[in-house]
Amino acid sequence: MIQRNEIVMLEVTTDWYLTLAAILFSIGFLGMMIRKNALIMFMCIELMLNAVNLTFISASKHFGQVDGQVFVFFVLVVAAAEVVVGLAIIVSIFRKQSSASVDVLNVSRG
Amino acid sequence: MYQEVKLELIFLLPIFLPFLTAIFLFLNKKLFNELITNFFTLNSALLSFAIAAYSFIVLGLDKFKPVNVELFQWISNPDISIGFTLDGLSGIMLILVTGLSFVIQLFSTSYMEKDENHCNYFVYFNFFVFSMLLLVMSSNFLVMFFGWELVGLSSYLLISFWSKKPAAAKAGNKAFVINRVGDFGFLIGLMIILDTFNTFDFYKILQNTSGIAESTITAISLFLLLGAFGKSAQFPLFSWLPDAMEGPTPASALIHAATMVTAGVFMLVRISPLLQHSKIASLLIIIFGLITALLAAFSAINQFDIKKVLAYSTISQLGFMFIAIGAGAYVAAIFHLVTHAFFKALLFLGAGAVIHSMHHEQDIRKMGGLRKKMPITASMMGIGTLAISGIPPLAGFWSKDEILASVFVNGGIYYVFWALALGAAFLTAFYMGRHWLLIFEKDNGFEHSDVAEAPKAMTRPLLLLGIFSIFIGFINTPFFHGLEKVLHVTLENVEVTHLPKGITLVVLAVLSIGAGFTGLIIAFLLFGMELHKRIDLKKFKLESPINLVKDLSSNVLYLNKFGNLFFVSGMKNLSRKVAVVVDGMLIDGSVNFVSTAFNKSSKITSTTQTGLVRNYVVYFGLFLLLLIALFIATPLVPR
Repeated sequence: MIQRNEIVMLEVTTDWYLTLAAILFSIGFLGMMIRKNALIMFMCIELMLNAVNLTFISASKHFGQVDGQVFVFFVLVVAAAEVVVGLAIIVSIFRKQSSASVDVLNVSRG
Repeated sequence: MYQEVKLELIFLLPIFLPFLTAIFLFLNKKLFNELITNFFTLNSALLSFAIAAYSFIVLGLDKFKPVNVELFQWISNPDISIGFTLDGLSGIMLILVTGLSFVIQLFSTSYMEKDENHCNYFVYFNFFVFSMLLLVMSSNFLVMFFGWELVGLSSYLLISFWSKKPAAAKAGNKAFVINRVGDFGFLIGLMIILDTFNTFDFYKILQNTSGIAESTITAISLFLLLGAFGKSAQFPLFSWLPDAMEGPTPASALIHAATMVTAGVFMLVRISPLLQHSKIASLLIIIFGLITALLAAFSAINQFDIKKVLAYSTISQLGFMFIAIGAGAYVAAIFHLVTHAFFKALLFLGAGAVIHSMHHEQDIRKMGGLRKKMPITASMMGIGTLAISGIPPLAGFWSKDEILASVFVNGGIYYVFWALALGAAFLTAFYMGRHWLLIFEKDNGFEHSDVAEAPKAMTRPLLLLGIFSIFIGFINTPFFHGLEKVLHVTLENVEVTHLPKGITLVVLAVLSIGAGFTGLIIAFLLFGMELHKRIDLKKFKLESPINLVKDLSSNVLYLNKFGNLFFVSGMKNLSRKVAVVVDGMLIDGSVNFVSTAFNKSSKITSTTQTGLVRNYVVYFGLFLLLLIALFIATPLVPR
């Protein structure tokens, strides 16, 4: 029997955060697999990275330790550096073939 | 003490002076013209001869007590050091090599005139003299082996000096390869020596022979003997020497007559304290010496190349030296080595003068009647011919007679050996007589209007050597044992076979003189008076045997052809089979298998490399899943 006046508070546990992170990661991964625009793929990578960050933070909160949060800062720094290099590559690809599709770039085919 | 130290230092000079000259000339070969080259090389040769003579005299005043100088010790255990020794034996060789080197270089300055590689010739020549002195002056087997190999190298350089001629290049290779066979034996002998005595030093080894088993000594002697056979051109390793005559004639005179080929004899005398304990080795030496002496003498009787006759004669005389060693007459062997060096150098230089005057014609059938055109050369070569034939009182008689008498005095089977050696001496006189008559006397119907006596730079060395060829025999006659006194320290513990006494010696001497004279007279009858043309050969049914002898002689009993067929062709076929089976199938097959295996497998794996990024992402995802699965499934990972 449900009491009307009671507000049922759903407790947001660590599992939720982990699930969200898994979903975000999967979306990013799927995007990497099916999209061919370099820019979109790049965004997917960012998505995956942030999913991992989320995992780190929630685990950190869960265990009450700061190690995970420290790692997140590292990941952020690396991601920033990656953006710089990645965007430069994308720009040069775009200049070369006036499209950002990566399928044309199959010169390393075996 | 003062005297000794001085001698130690000074007798190293003649060894290294030629080496320095060789390097000096080599470095300046573009700068120097012939005159400057001659100046340096002759002065250096004369200087080293003077120092050598001085060292020998000082050594003689000290009663030939060996002087050792150790430059440095290389390895302390086993005891291996780099050192030199001057005793009677090496002193004789030192004088011989430096003296002949000077005389022959004097001759070469004229003979090699206007050759495009004039300076190179003297570089090689000096290098050879250095190597030879290294060989004879060494105080241990190791330095001797260095010299042994280096004379092989420099002899190769000089044989194939005119390398534009294919025959010369080939002859150089042949000499080198056949010498290698001997060197292989020499090397194994050295290994056994090191294993047995733990040192290479001659005097340490040769004074400690008593406690060693005879089988070991025999093994050492036999392997060293193989080396001596190769270097001294003894049967069966002799066929390189006649071919080596492709080199310049003065080089042949020094290397292939006077010095290098006697290295084997020298080495055997050096190890005579070992050798005397091995009956088998001594017997083998005398048998092979006899075979060589007879075979080479027989081969010489129908050769038509002026130098080849002398080459076979050299082999034959070396055979005599080996006979002497086998009979235990080590002094006689060295004595014959010395006298032979002089008269054979004389004969070779004479041949060089003839070749020079005949404009490099070497066929003696195209010569004849040159005596009137070249009186000095003819008379000097005549002296050489008489000396080698054993006519008293010339040099060859004393040494050859001593060898024959020493063989005879051993008794038993040695009487047979003596008779055979006497036969070889007879043949020697015969072919040398023929040689001289064909060149200088017999009229072959060729006009030699443009032939003149050789220049003075050539005739002077001839005169010098001619004088020596007459008188050098007096250093060791039955009345005056000069050489024995020189060698008495070197051969201190050695039982040297002595000459018979009294009437036996006289009879033997008369017999050996008789053999020499008979040979010369028969040669004169056949080639001087042409007796065979006056007799009807068919009447005596002699034609086919004579032709057979001629054929066998000029083909050296077909030994070369046999050797080619058996060793060269056999080896070629074998190596061809090895090339096909081992190299082609085994080695190439395995290498090719590896490469094709990699090629095929990489073709399969390379299909995964599509070049599409999303495929890589898929692989990445798959491996991620695999990693997760592993993580979950592995119980070892702490959770």
